[in-house]
Amino acid sequence: MKVVPSRSSEWVRPVTSQRPASTIIGIDRVSQVFQTSTRKDHVALSDISLTIDEGAFVSILGPSGCGKSTLLYIVGGFVSPTRGTARMKGQPITGPGPDRGPVFQEFALFPWKTVLGNVMYGPRQQGVRATEAEAQSRMLIQMVGLKGYENFYPKELSGGMKQRVALARTLAYHPEVLLMDEPFGALDAHTRTRLQNDLLNIWERDRKTVLFVTHSVDEAVFLSDKVVMMSKSPGRIREVIDIDLPRPRRRNELLLDPRYQKYVVEIERMFDESDEVGSAS
Amino acid sequence: MTRRAAPVLACVGLLAVWQIASLALESDSFPTALEAIRTIPDILGDKESLINILASLRRMTIGFGIAVLVSIPLGLSMGRSRAVAAFFNPLLMVVYPVPKAALMPIIMLWLGVGDITKTLVIFLGVSLPVIYHSFEGAKAVEEKMLWSGAAMGLSPLQRLVRIVLPAALPEILTGCRTGLVLALITMITSEMIARQSGAGNILFNALDMGQYDTVYAMIIIVGAMGICLDAAFERIRARLVRWSEPQFDMPLSFS
Ligand SMILES: Nc1ncnc2c1ncn2[C@@H]1O[C@H](COP(=O)(O)OP(=O)(O)O)[C@@H](O)[C@H]1O
Ligand SMILES: [Mg+2]
Repeated sequence: MKVVPSRSSEWVRPVTSQRPASTIIGIDRVSQVFQTSTRKDHVALSDISLTIDEGAFVSILGPSGCGKSTLLYIVGGFVSPTRGTARMKGQPITGPGPDRGPVFQEFALFPWKTVLGNVMYGPRQQGVRATEAEAQSRMLIQMVGLKGYENFYPKELSGGMKQRVALARTLAYHPEVLLMDEPFGALDAHTRTRLQNDLLNIWERDRKTVLFVTHSVDEAVFLSDKVVMMSKSPGRIREVIDIDLPRPRRRNELLLDPRYQKYVVEIERMFDESDEVGSAS
Repeated sequence: MTRRAAPVLACVGLLAVWQIASLALESDSFPTALEAIRTIPDILGDKESLINILASLRRMTIGFGIAVLVSIPLGLSMGRSRAVAAFFNPLLMVVYPVPKAALMPIIMLWLGVGDITKTLVIFLGVSLPVIYHSFEGAKAVEEKMLWSGAAMGLSPLQRLVRIVLPAALPEILTGCRTGLVLALITMITSEMIARQSGAGNILFNALDMGQYDTVYAMIIIVGAMGICLDAAFERIRARLVRWSEPQFDMPLSFS
């Protein structure tokens, strides 16, 4: 597939993102309790507070079952929290909206629509004229590396291709925040690496705010400005780590960079500890 | 080629067995296949018979059409709303095992022996499988798909029509296919109970009068109608849900 050409290989962020960052998402003392069949309530999230700056790439990292997805669903407005509030630009989130675009691990494409039909769905819903929506969608499909597959049905695509379509479908309606829930979790290692690279290239272009859930330390460090480490039982924020690595990031350069390696090793150690804490309780 | 020839061969085979069996048995009430087939043009050439058969088809079309139009929205709503399901489920559980033709005497008491009664029985027969399959199809729709739609700004009703309906379509059409066969069965049964008009009327009158050639010819005609309707429906179905057919299930090697 084609590598999307990025900006020049400057090592500093473009001027536009150097203005003082403003908060786009505010999570304020959010708790989520699920009723279980065993009568004992399950505390999936306990007292989570977090702010996310506009244009930041933030990963939520933690062991399976620590409530990462639940937190993302709350920001998406798909689930309402038991206590606390999540805000988007200061407004309490009460339901889903096109300002927050989800990309799920399960792809969740519309199987009765072609690749083009899937990508056009959002813009059409938003009242964009068919010809215009189609032109934009074709460009997006090219951007995610699927030129030539416009008229294929989801069934005819591999997992990696489906996730590319899902990303294009969400980008097509211009959400201000991308909510990605282990989007590459179901893919093999090679495909995963390619999609990480392509996602970074796409992100470098317009610096949308991304909230990215993962349980892979490498992935979190490679992609993010900020890594939010969670621990489980109950789901809590354990640590927030700023990843101070230059952009644009190139995988082959980064893997050799001692700073990158240090982040990975340190976060991995914390991860192991929090996993032990989780399994001990 | 074999796929297309197979049903034809099956028909020819059945007719051959019939022919041999009736020659062997030599019974008055069991004409040979050839005698029965020779009677078909007489029936189809007779204006009275044609009016009867067309009346049957009209009732079947109306009963089937209304049933599908009512059952699909009902089944889909039940599949997506626990409250709707809780309301209708007990009702359907009671109605489900009752043979619809057994309700006919009651319906006849209220509505007479005319078109309305017969159409209603067809409607009842078709409704249940279509409701059931729509219900199951809607229940199975992946939640994340609906969330994706919600994020794009689709209202709950739009999600039902534009996501749940197409996503459940393969299952719905399976229900409709069963419904179509049931429409034919209830059509003939209703005309057997309340004679007066229809293909079933010709058949059972002929039986009473001992015109066995006509009886068997009518069975062939009704059977052929069923086979043709089912084949036509299957073609439409296959076209509508091409996106979900297994021959598409071959991921290409690409990241
Ligand atoms: N709808 C639900 N009902 C009951 N329990 C749930 C529900 N959703 C999630 N949970 C529980 O909450 C915890 C956190 O789940 P989740 O957010 O999916 O974790 P993660 O994405 O980090 O693996 C898990 O223990 C899970 O079993
Ligand atoms: Mg999860």
